This record gives sequence, structure tokens and C-alpha cells, in this order.
Amino acid sequence: MSYYTIPIGPQHPAIKEAFQFNFVLDGEVIVDVKPRFGFVHRGIEKAMELRTWVQGIFLAERICGICNVPHTTCYCLAVEKVYGIDVPERAKYLRIIINELNRIHSHLLWIGVLGMELGFHTVFMYVWRDRERVMDLVEMISGNRVTPSMNCIGGVVYDITPEMEPIIKRNLDYLEERTKYYKKVLMEDPSLKARTEGVGVLSKDKALDLCAVGPTARASDVKSDVRFDDPYTLYDEIDFNMVTYSTCDVWGRAMVRVDETIESIKAIRHALEKMRPGPINVKVKRIPPIGEATARVEAPRGELLHYVKSDGKEVPYRAKMRTPTLANIPALCEMLKGHYIADIPAIVASIDPCYCCTERLMFTDIGNGKSWIWSYDELRRYSLKYYGLGV
Amino acid sequence: MSSFDVNFILKDISNAFPNRILDYRFDGPRSVFMSVDPSALHDVIKYLKDKYDLRHIVTITGTDLGDSIELIYHLSPLNRRILVNIKVKIPRDNPHFPSIVSILPGAILYEREVHDLLGVVFDGHPSLERLILPDDWPDGVYPLRKDWKVEVK
Repeated sequence: MSYYTIPIGPQHPAIKEAFQFNFVLDGEVIVDVKPRFGFVHRGIEKAMELRTWVQGIFLAERICGICNVPHTTCYCLAVEKVYGIDVPERAKYLRIIINELNRIHSHLLWIGVLGMELGFHTVFMYVWRDRERVMDLVEMISGNRVTPSMNCIGGVVYDITPEMEPIIKRNLDYLEERTKYYKKVLMEDPSLKARTEGVGVLSKDKALDLCAVGPTARASDVKSDVRFDDPYTLYDEIDFNMVTYSTCDVWGRAMVRVDETIESIKAIRHALEKMRPGPINVKVKRIPPIGEATARVEAPRGELLHYVKSDGKEVPYRAKMRTPTLANIPALCEMLKGHYIADIPAIVASIDPCYCCTERLMFTDIGNGKSWIWSYDELRRYSLKYYGLGV
Repeated sequence: MSSFDVNFILKDISNAFPNRILDYRFDGPRSVFMSVDPSALHDVIKYLKDKYDLRHIVTITGTDLGDSIELIYHLSPLNRRILVNIKVKIPRDNPHFPSIVSILPGAILYEREVHDLLGVVFDGHPSLERLILPDDWPDGVYPLRKDWKVEVK
């Protein structure tokens, strides 16, 4: 019996960071997957050692464009532990609000992308239109749509004024209504269900063994969410629920994200209610004392860890971060096995790796040595044709 | 719940491995750093996994300390309540260390990452191939070591 090997990437479907997967195929069915990455390795950990502690915040913000807020939050939490300071209460609530706004925008973005992967462009157009509301809120608070630069060592930079609160609440009401509608679409639309149910299965045991994190793990019935397990800022005082599904497939991962969006809206409302006037940051010395610390934050894609070590100089001795997508790669390889080529876009997208569009795939037939190249668009069209959905 | 209390775990492990826990420091209410004798690391990780279900490896941090390389294994139980950071120091001029993939399969990528960036060779790792650095990166050059300087143009 002969297998086909298909290298996909480094310019790759569904992933912003260029990735390469080598798929070993038996006909249409994926037998094995070997990942290779590092194509966009920017050396940020080394670059951190060359910049001051404050410059590190802005570098951390640029690790990931979509989930930039959890990165700065996590970095600041770790550095604040080294300083041994506590931030004011209002800053903690503001951090929750900006983190949850970031989660809503990231999850809505993902639902749109899933719709696009499945050839359901209406979902993409609708969801991304509604996502603009979140971006506008972030812009209103911080002046920036995407990277709010909200966190600083010792608190936050921007405050939410009393005039902003009714605007935020009004937009949250709108977003909640829309998200509930998307939930209904995901639960009822037959073409969406046909492409996602039973696809990309990751059993609970495998999710635990392979150390999956975030919505990927929670869709496999793993109850793990840093906001509840190791609460940072003031998440333990916020009234919202952890979302888990036990379907273990792409559909479950979509439902986890839709439900989490609704929970995030609840959390922001509650934080706005509990927030009292007060200072939003404390002044810190330019250089922290000697020490080291870790901090964990629940980013939209899962658990994020930052470790910093200070030797009493104006730059960090070592800064290390573990992003959730890396943790989910072994799980992704597992969930691709046994599925069809046509399901690759949906499954790869289901762990929510950061996204990109300019991809090329090379298909090689080992048997006769023939090889041809497909653009990502062609793969997508092939996938739609395979399922008889038109283009 | 005592089994998810870092204090409790630290006491228990100090009794189970006398003189092998060299140093410890708390890092917040649910996190602890402990330095472990390198020869005991495998047994400590296995003990924590079997007794406290610390099966989730968050990552491995490698740091160049000048004369030695420090490895920090960040471990967490399945419910993620706590973080146990186990530190070992290995010699920098002969950075060989046994792999823990047989105990914690989730460590497979993280060991490759540390091997790439700091040149630590994890003996017994199933495929210690290049993970992050480009294919044409010269052998024996490890960018996260302190003697590797960034050229500023």
C-alpha cells in the first residue's frame, strides 16, 4: 500500500504565522501529520532582553495582533510580581473589561472565519459587521482600534469615563442579541452542521494527554480556564460561567466560542457595575528588584504563560512566553488524523490559529512523481466542490 | 483542598526526597519555584504526576546563567489550579540532560524549542529536530545564549 505525502505550507491555509504540515494520506484520508514551524520566528524573547521593562510591554503587545491585550496583561502581571506591588482595584476591573472586549472581538472574528472556510460567506459578512462595534468601543476607550496599549506596569493607562458607560452598555446589548442569533444559526443551519459535526474529533483523554488548552480543550469537556482556576486581577469576583461542551468536534469548538462571547458580555456588565471611582495606576521605579515570576492569563485561544527574570538591571535578564497555539499543535495533529483533505481548512481553523490568506499548497503524488501546486483558494474551492456546496 | 495547595505539595515532596530539594520560593498564592538536584528531576516529576496528577506541562524555560544553563519545568495539574516550577541547573559546556517525554508526552515540542535556542541536548527524545530556527541556520549557534549578540545596524 502506498501513501501520498502532501506538504502544506509554509505559506499555509488558515494560519497567519507561516506553518508547514506534512500530511501522509491514504487516498483522501489523513493518516499522519508532521508539523514544522518557525518560518516567522522573530526572536522576540531575545529582543525582550535588549529593551527596557517598559518597552517590553509594547513588544509583548506585538506578539499577536489579535490577542494583544492578554499578552500585555500577562507580562505586566509577571513584572508586577517581581516589583511586589498590587495595582488599584479600579485598574483590575478595567483590565477585566479590556480583556473581555478583546475576547469578544477575537471570538467573533473566528466565527466569521469559520463561516468563510465552510463557504458560508453570509456568516462572515454579518459577524464581521457586528465585530466593528467592539472595535469602536476599544477605540473609544483607548484611541486605538486593534492594539489599545491599555496596560502599564502598575495598572492601566486609560480610564472609562461615566459618559462612556451607557455607550458600552448599549453596544453590549446589541452584541448579545446578535451573538444569540449566531448561536441559533450554528445550532440549526443544516449546512453548517453537516460540515462541523463529527469533524476533527479530539477525545477528552487525548486532549488531557496532549496538554490542549482553551476552547479546544473545553470543547472536549476539559474543565480548564485560568480565569476560574487561577484567578488573576479580580476574576474571582465577577459573576460568569465556564463554558464546556462534550461533542469534541469542530461544532463544539464553535459553540464554546459563541457561548463564551455571551459570558464575556455578562462579565463586562458585571465589572462595570462593581467598578468604583479611584486611581487607575500606581507609580513604580524604573528598574525592578532582583527576582523572577510567572503569570498566567486566559487568552481567547487558551492559557498563556509569561515568565520574567530580573537581575536588577534596566532590561530583563530573561523573558519567556508560551502561547496557546503552540500548546494546541499536538492536539491539532491528533484531530486531523482520520479525516478528509476537504476537512483540513475547517479543522485547522477550529483551534483558532492566527489567520492569513496568501497560501499555496504543493501536492505530490509519490507513486508517479507528479506534483502540482494549489493555491489556498483552489483548495477551498475543491473542498466546497467535494461537499457539493458550490463556490 | 490540600492536594491543590502548593505549601502542602512542597512539604510532602521535601519529605519524599530529602536533601534533593535545594531551594524554594513562593510566587503568589498558587505558584512555587523549587530548585531540584538534576539527578532527582525525573523521580520528582514522576512522583508529582502519579501522586498529584501534575500531568500538564505548560512549557520549559531555558536560561543561560553564564556558567550553567537553568531549565524550569512549569507543571500544572489537570484542573490548572496551581503552578509548580521546578528548576534544575546543568553545565553549560556539556549541556546533556535526560528527556522527560516518556513521562510527560506534552513536553515533546518544548524540549525541541530549548534544544534549538540554547543547545541543550535531551537524551532519549524521539526526534530532536530543528523546530524554530531556519534550516540554513549554522550548527552550534544558539541565539538565546548570552554570548550571542544581536547585530545592531
